[in-house]
Amino acid sequence: MSDQDTALHRVTLTVNGTSRTLDIEPRTLLVHALRNELSLTGTKIGCDTSQCGACTVLIDGRSFKSCTVLAVQADGTSVTTIEGVGSGRELAAVQEAFKQHHGLQCGYCTPGMVLATVELLNQNANPDEAAIRHGLAGNVCRCTGYSGIVDSVKAAAAAGVGK
Amino acid sequence: MSIVGTDRPRIDADDKLRGATRYLGDLKPHGLLHGRLVLAMDAHATINRVIKDAALAIPGVVAVLTAEDLPTAMEGPMRQFEPLARGEIVFQGQPVALVLAETEAAAEDGVEAVIVETTSHAAVLDLEAAIKPDSPLARIRQIGGEMEGSAAMHVEAAGEGEGAPAPAAAAAEPVSANAKGPHRQQHGDATAALAGSEAVVKGTFRTSWVHQTYMEPQGALAIPEVDGSVTIHSSTQGAFYVRGMVAKLYGVDVSTVRVVGAPLGGAFGGKFNLIDPLVMGAALAVGRPVKLQLTRSEDFASGMPASACILELELGGTKATGLTAFRSRILLDQGAYGDWAMDGAVPVMIGGPYRWSAWDSLSYGVTTNRFGTGAYRGPGGPQVVFALEQLVDELANKLGVDPLELRLKSAAVEGDTGVDGDPWAPVAGREVIERTMQHPLYKKRGSLPANEGIGVAAGVWMGARFPSAATCRVDQDGGITVVTGAVDMSGTNTSFAAIAADTFGVPIESVRISYADTATAPHAPPSGGSGVTYSVGQSIRLAVEDAKEQLLDFASDQMDVAASDLEVVDGMVRPVGSPDRGKSVAHFAEQVTGFVATAPPIEGRGRFAPGNPSPSVACHVAHVRIDPATGEVETLDYAVIQDVGKALNPGLVRGQLQGGAVQSIGWALYEELQHDEYGQLLTGSFMQYAVPRADRVPNVDVDYIEVPSAIGPFGAKGIAEAAVMAGTGAMANAVAAAVGSRIRELPMTSPRVWRAANSR
Repeated sequence: MSDQDTALHRVTLTVNGTSRTLDIEPRTLLVHALRNELSLTGTKIGCDTSQCGACTVLIDGRSFKSCTVLAVQADGTSVTTIEGVGSGRELAAVQEAFKQHHGLQCGYCTPGMVLATVELLNQNANPDEAAIRHGLAGNVCRCTGYSGIVDSVKAAAAAGVGK
Repeated sequence: MSIVGTDRPRIDADDKLRGATRYLGDLKPHGLLHGRLVLAMDAHATINRVIKDAALAIPGVVAVLTAEDLPTAMEGPMRQFEPLARGEIVFQGQPVALVLAETEAAAEDGVEAVIVETTSHAAVLDLEAAIKPDSPLARIRQIGGEMEGSAAMHVEAAGEGEGAPAPAAAAAEPVSANAKGPHRQQHGDATAALAGSEAVVKGTFRTSWVHQTYMEPQGALAIPEVDGSVTIHSSTQGAFYVRGMVAKLYGVDVSTVRVVGAPLGGAFGGKFNLIDPLVMGAALAVGRPVKLQLTRSEDFASGMPASACILELELGGTKATGLTAFRSRILLDQGAYGDWAMDGAVPVMIGGPYRWSAWDSLSYGVTTNRFGTGAYRGPGGPQVVFALEQLVDELANKLGVDPLELRLKSAAVEGDTGVDGDPWAPVAGREVIERTMQHPLYKKRGSLPANEGIGVAAGVWMGARFPSAATCRVDQDGGITVVTGAVDMSGTNTSFAAIAADTFGVPIESVRISYADTATAPHAPPSGGSGVTYSVGQSIRLAVEDAKEQLLDFASDQMDVAASDLEVVDGMVRPVGSPDRGKSVAHFAEQVTGFVATAPPIEGRGRFAPGNPSPSVACHVAHVRIDPATGEVETLDYAVIQDVGKALNPGLVRGQLQGGAVQSIGWALYEELQHDEYGQLLTGSFMQYAVPRADRVPNVDVDYIEVPSAIGPFGAKGIAEAAVMAGTGAMANAVAAAVGSRIRELPMTSPRVWRAANSR
């Protein structure tokens, strides 16, 4: 590693509504910055090829796999993690829908799945089943077989989450 | 008020939905060292030298450990007793060294700098060739010692013990030291019975290695304590199991190992003591906390997936009475380590949920240079079902009877002799098959467009019967706290809460399920084999009943009413028939917990050994469409019909059955850990290893029936393994119906389907 590789870079971003400044190595992935520097461990790591979706967060309102983004690339953006979806211990409507319709089991894909759902419903407030399944194809769940998740997204849409 | 049987959210839903649940990867104690593994590049080699200098020179790297650096006290033929390669590399991806560093990044840099010098040997990969007497050996250095503990759990759950040793005369096939067995089950004269059958079918079937693919990769954290003991936090299904195994490996007393189960980010049978021996040894070696969590690629390369099999099967039947006899020979690839190999159980499992008059069923476990065998949901099931259920369909076709009619005629009932020689426990195969005959999806099969097919199959999981214990405390506020050492697997704690609430007579909000570690918990079995709710649930019911009796005895004195005339309803203790004379549970709880209390606190104890398992039978119905131009298979519709005994929480039961069904679609169409001829893994990430995604699977319709178990709590049976069993058969039968010819190799990928569709 050269000195240039490990020199710290200053990154300022808004995370769940709060401005945060980090001094980090340029190779630091956003997911590592969130988890290790900011202790926002709700964002999960499930693979190393950007294919499972467990690390999904919103950057300026759009969903991204935070393992595919360098923290320095997120400089100046506004990031929403699962910790920013509800309010304290109160669940947001999208989370409540997942709770009532068994949209989760082990919970490891859940934060990413919830944020992918927020993006999906923001794009299309009334998706049919095919659109829901297509919209969540980037997020792997191994427990539910997806039926409970699809039911949850339908319920969230009915509750007006994307409107 | 009945909570059992009502659909309620999981009790851990809020934490998980808020991202607040602390999984293993979220723990970070002071002084933590991060571990990363150096994985073998060769599939089979002798280690000449491991050069550590360059790695140790990297700032932040603290140690590079090889097998000699781990303070192990014994050797054994299991992966769990060989956490790092000892002199010989036996599969590509095997851990050779463990780099410890102050940061994850430094540890990763250290791994890149370690040089492993080896002399390569031939990789043993072909099952038929491997068992021939002149085959090279997958393991040059044979390690003595017995397999223990682990495989026995699922072997027992699947059937009965190891297959009986074959009579010397029967073991005619000369085999190499790569072969373990034969395990053989025999009854009657199978040859004569097949000859006397109206129709006989046979085939050879191949299945792939399949990874459990829990979304949270394997991990554990070991913390050396000031008194010389070690605390292990682990993403494990079996805390007591891990404690026993690592204590044995390192020659320490179990009392010096404390295992705390972390919330599981999925497991499916795969999370049993893979990482724990590594972090335990490293923590003992360096005296600092050590955490190791695999990356996804490492988990594919170095995990403990499910075995591939080659199954030869021949079976016969008659129109009037159904299935008659079968003969089978199964080669089960146990890889380099057979920790959880099911070679002893598959000769029993291949009999399915059926009654037979004669059989000759044998298997070999084959050592090769691929991984080691782990347990994966219904271990052995998807493999045997793929062979058995296709042939049952072919036989029905040959006999000219409806495929479910043939299965119904042949379904085993209580008391029939099982393939293991023991009588069947009560089993509801007939009820499940009859219900399946009525399912709209099955009825649709006669009226389909071209290139579509509907297939059906049946499967059974015999169930587990692990003993367990639990306690129940009445708290000052009138709530109850249940203490269990069983880690929550797929929502078991939510079912426990329902059991406790209904048994005591308090609202579910007043029930706390407290997971305790191996230092403090009543003994608990591993969460696996579909045995948790079945056994621990009953221990909890007994503990709660005991606590309730103690409370009523105390209340009886206080209220001057015979205990037998008191009941607890909605948190109130009241004389039967006089609801307005009730006093709250809290009222009495205060009197046995306060400083000036004179009566002892209430603490119930439950202990339970089920004695017998309660088998769960499931039928799957699959509807597929194939594209004859590409061979692509689309799963259009899917239904699961299963006997669950009693659905303690219908929502959770549905979720288990849907999840199992989709995993079996993965087995059927997509999943395969492939190696090249040198034993190099070709499908080591989600780029190449395909799991079902939301847009590739349909909704799964669940139609469960409840034939109560006399043993499980409230009649419940273990359900999670049975939920995956029938899928490979149903999908294969659906594809065969759509294509017009049979595919005898898993997964049924586009090239295989295309070849079948275009070779007619």
